[in-house]
Amino acid sequence: MIKHNLLLFFRNIKKYKVTFFINLIGLSTGLASVILIYLWVNDELKINAFHENDSHIYQVMQNLPEGDDIDTIIETPGLLARSLKSDIPEIKYASNVIAPNWFENEKGIISHEDTYFKARGQFVEKDYLKIFSWEIIQGDKNTVLTDKNTVLLSEAFAKKLFPDTTDIIGKTIDWVQESSSGKYVVNGVFKDVSNNSTAQFDVLFNYESILEANASNFKKWSNSNPETFVLLQEGSNIKQVNAKIKNYRREKYQSLRGTKYLHYIGTLFLQKYSDRYLYNVYENGVQTGGRIEYIFLFSIIAIFLLVIACINFMNLSTAKATTRLKEIGVKKVIGAHRKSLIKQFLFESLIMISFSLCVAFLTVILILPEFNHITGKSISLSLSLEVVLIILGITLVTGFIAGSYPALYLSRFRPIRILKGKLDTSIGETWARKGLVIIQFSISLILIVSVFIIHQQINFVQNKNLGYNKDNVIAISSEGNLYESNASFISEIKNIPGVLKATSFGHDLVGDAGGTGGVNWEGKDPNANIQFSNLEIDFDWFELLEIEVLQGRVFSDEYGNNEDKIIFNEAAIAIMGLKEPIGKTVKVWGKDRQIIGVVKDFHFESLHERVKPCMMQYYADLSNVLVKIKSGTENKTLSKIGAVYKEFNPGLTFEYKFIDDDYQSLYTAEKRVATLSKYFASIAFIVSCLGLFGLAAFTVEKKRKEIGIRKTLGQGTQQIVMLLSGEFMKLVFTAIAIGLPIGYLIITNWLSRFEYTIDLQISYFLIAGFTVLALACIAVGFQTVNAASRNPIDALREE
Amino acid sequence: MLLELSEIFKWVTTGGNRTYLLKGINIEVQEGEFISLMGPSGSGKSTLLNVIGMLDHFDEGVYHFLDEPVQNLKEKHRIELYKKYIGFVFQSYHLMDDLTVYENIEMPLLYQKYSSSERKALVADMLDRFNIVGKKNLFPTQLSGGQQQLVGIARALISKPKLILADEPTGNLNSKQSEEIMQLFKKLNEEDGVTIIQATHSEANASYGSRTIHLLDGRMVKG
Repeated sequence: MIKHNLLLFFRNIKKYKVTFFINLIGLSTGLASVILIYLWVNDELKINAFHENDSHIYQVMQNLPEGDDIDTIIETPGLLARSLKSDIPEIKYASNVIAPNWFENEKGIISHEDTYFKARGQFVEKDYLKIFSWEIIQGDKNTVLTDKNTVLLSEAFAKKLFPDTTDIIGKTIDWVQESSSGKYVVNGVFKDVSNNSTAQFDVLFNYESILEANASNFKKWSNSNPETFVLLQEGSNIKQVNAKIKNYRREKYQSLRGTKYLHYIGTLFLQKYSDRYLYNVYENGVQTGGRIEYIFLFSIIAIFLLVIACINFMNLSTAKATTRLKEIGVKKVIGAHRKSLIKQFLFESLIMISFSLCVAFLTVILILPEFNHITGKSISLSLSLEVVLIILGITLVTGFIAGSYPALYLSRFRPIRILKGKLDTSIGETWARKGLVIIQFSISLILIVSVFIIHQQINFVQNKNLGYNKDNVIAISSEGNLYESNASFISEIKNIPGVLKATSFGHDLVGDAGGTGGVNWEGKDPNANIQFSNLEIDFDWFELLEIEVLQGRVFSDEYGNNEDKIIFNEAAIAIMGLKEPIGKTVKVWGKDRQIIGVVKDFHFESLHERVKPCMMQYYADLSNVLVKIKSGTENKTLSKIGAVYKEFNPGLTFEYKFIDDDYQSLYTAEKRVATLSKYFASIAFIVSCLGLFGLAAFTVEKKRKEIGIRKTLGQGTQQIVMLLSGEFMKLVFTAIAIGLPIGYLIITNWLSRFEYTIDLQISYFLIAGFTVLALACIAVGFQTVNAASRNPIDALREE
Repeated sequence: MLLELSEIFKWVTTGGNRTYLLKGINIEVQEGEFISLMGPSGSGKSTLLNVIGMLDHFDEGVYHFLDEPVQNLKEKHRIELYKKYIGFVFQSYHLMDDLTVYENIEMPLLYQKYSSSERKALVADMLDRFNIVGKKNLFPTQLSGGQQQLVGIARALISKPKLILADEPTGNLNSKQSEEIMQLFKKLNEEDGVTIIQATHSEANASYGSRTIHLLDGRMVKG
């Protein structure tokens, strides 16, 4: 039986090659997309979830009042971990952690004798290694990091620093990074941190060392610096623990300091550590999504793609029914049960999908590198049992769904009627087929509209006038010896001919500016909590970034002391309501500052944020060096700056970044979505068009006689083409009418993430609709023109 | 007795009017008979054959096939019954174009419990008997009409039915081919004891049968 069915299947393919290829292309691209998306989703879901105690590891989060809003942050007071552990019985282990990015320069410099490397240091408490399952490959897990001058090295760094020996316990290393600089003794080695961890570090330090170095800051309950991780006891009720810790910080603060400034102190709650990666966005203290949205988005796209491919298969199989009537009839007459026919058709769709799976696998292997490039992942097609089972599962389910409708439909016919060549087509069926086409095209259209507008927005973001000029500006971290004195570094590189300007800057222009409510001015509402972004800048900063000065002047050493002066942006002046602000005095953290200038608003955060009130104060020797390079001389100038850098930091590699790249990386997520959805939308649309092409072919075939009669009665080719195409075009129009409004809703939702967006123009939707219509026209027109121009006698002679 | 039809009525209702396709048919068929159904187009020959073959329903009356009351059987049992005892031969052969002669003949066996070696033996036997061994790998379109009908008959016979229902089996054939096919039916009837009911227009073909039933407008009439 199977042999027979296989034979029939293959002979059918030979006869209807076009249908076969439409199905093969549709199903295999659908499956390939689904496999890729599955691999990506699987990879995302595994991030941070590999720790043995995963289900009990939580991070302490803090809801901080900020103006009328709540800001959810990960920083917590420096003594929180030990305090929680002793007060809350459900907390088994707790550790405060200072991650590398807490420092102004993320990397410190580790050295042994004359070997220097930049490395990321993380400061943790003893419990840290009991909470997280990092593998210790040298040293005793229970005793490492007990002494505050000890460190653990990653395997890679142990090899880099001590290439000649594996016996490194007890060796001394030098560490330079702001307040944590000093000599440390190695007392263990841990296995390199894997890629699917968001915590990335090369050296583990004892938290005590940084706690002592920053005691006045860290030991206060009014300040928040380190992150806090806890391991809950088995069986703890998370709700109860959350209730216990909610006001924990406030109570601690109040018992020491009373109620003054209590309204600045935040409340605490726990979030599961491995959930943090996917659910990372909080708005006003409420979890509102994050990366999980992209997981949903792409899972939905994957399902859509499969649905579109399945619809093609169903439509073509049922449309093709006429060609298989005799087979079905004869089989029934010689005693085939309906069940055996259903089995046969399901079997056919399963073979079809198996073929497609093979093609899909090849496709995935071919495009995986490009996919990794776009998504910034390093996924490999490792066929673990889980992956194989899931992919097979998806394939079987798809085959089953795609095959079920044709199987039920085709096996239903009454044999004597179909042997007479009569096919009972009910109105329901025709509608089902039309409905499926409408669904396909609506989905395609939604994707196309979205992709089109996402691209417009990304273009807008990339080319928007930001209020400053980011071209040819590089940023260099003041690391190593530069940290102490970058003024001499700056004055030296200013002598390089290709360097137009150089300055130092305490921040970057992509959103790391701190905020403060500590600004007071005459006439301020005493109850208002207005937050000002705080930028610390050096001379020449405005000139270098070409920021427009609206009133007054900028910092300069020509006018004496700069430390008691301040510059605001327009937004700040507006919110303070100051008229003629130049020369007026405001208080910042209790000290008088005279306003010397007002500058035009510029974007110091991403375009997701509105330009906030911002104050700029003068400091020397800030943590980033900004250099404006003469365009056309980049390579030469950079190598010269590198040479100067080496004089200051011998042994270290010169690293810099263009602030334009920095800016672009703000929108990495959006750009990824844009690129991926572009591909997937194209696939969806092409597959839909192929389906329409196939369907048109069969409809036209069925109507050969009608066309023949019409032509003999004198109807022109053109009229017949119109008549035949019109039927399909109605479907496409309906799809447009459904798809465009849905697309509009989706895209306005997406755009609402940005404070600065393109204006949605009706033309965007018209273009998308027209594109769909035009291509659908081509797909259908090809068939209808062909049919209409045939000699009518050929069609009629067959009768 | 092989089968018995008594007072069989079949009708279609169009616009509130009943049009009778079969009107009070009473037939008894003994095993080993060779019956010809005659009548002009639209007289109900095919309909009656389809009713006897259980491919079509009737609206009133009683039909016993080997003492089973057909009108009371579920579809599944009906299929089992005709699959086992009835073979069909069609005017336009209804061979599967995508299958070879061999595969076409083998097909009915696939829906019954035969092992592949049994199937091989049965098909080889049939090819041999009809002298078409040399054509077993050809497709139907490569054969003449007479040869195609030969294959159709071979397919109908492969599962050793008690009854062959032939609807104008020679309608698409020339007179020489027709005669060969009728000779074959006669031989099957006489030597193998297969019961045959054929619908035909031709007096000549009808004369091969042992009994002729005349139909007009769905009624049996005296010939």
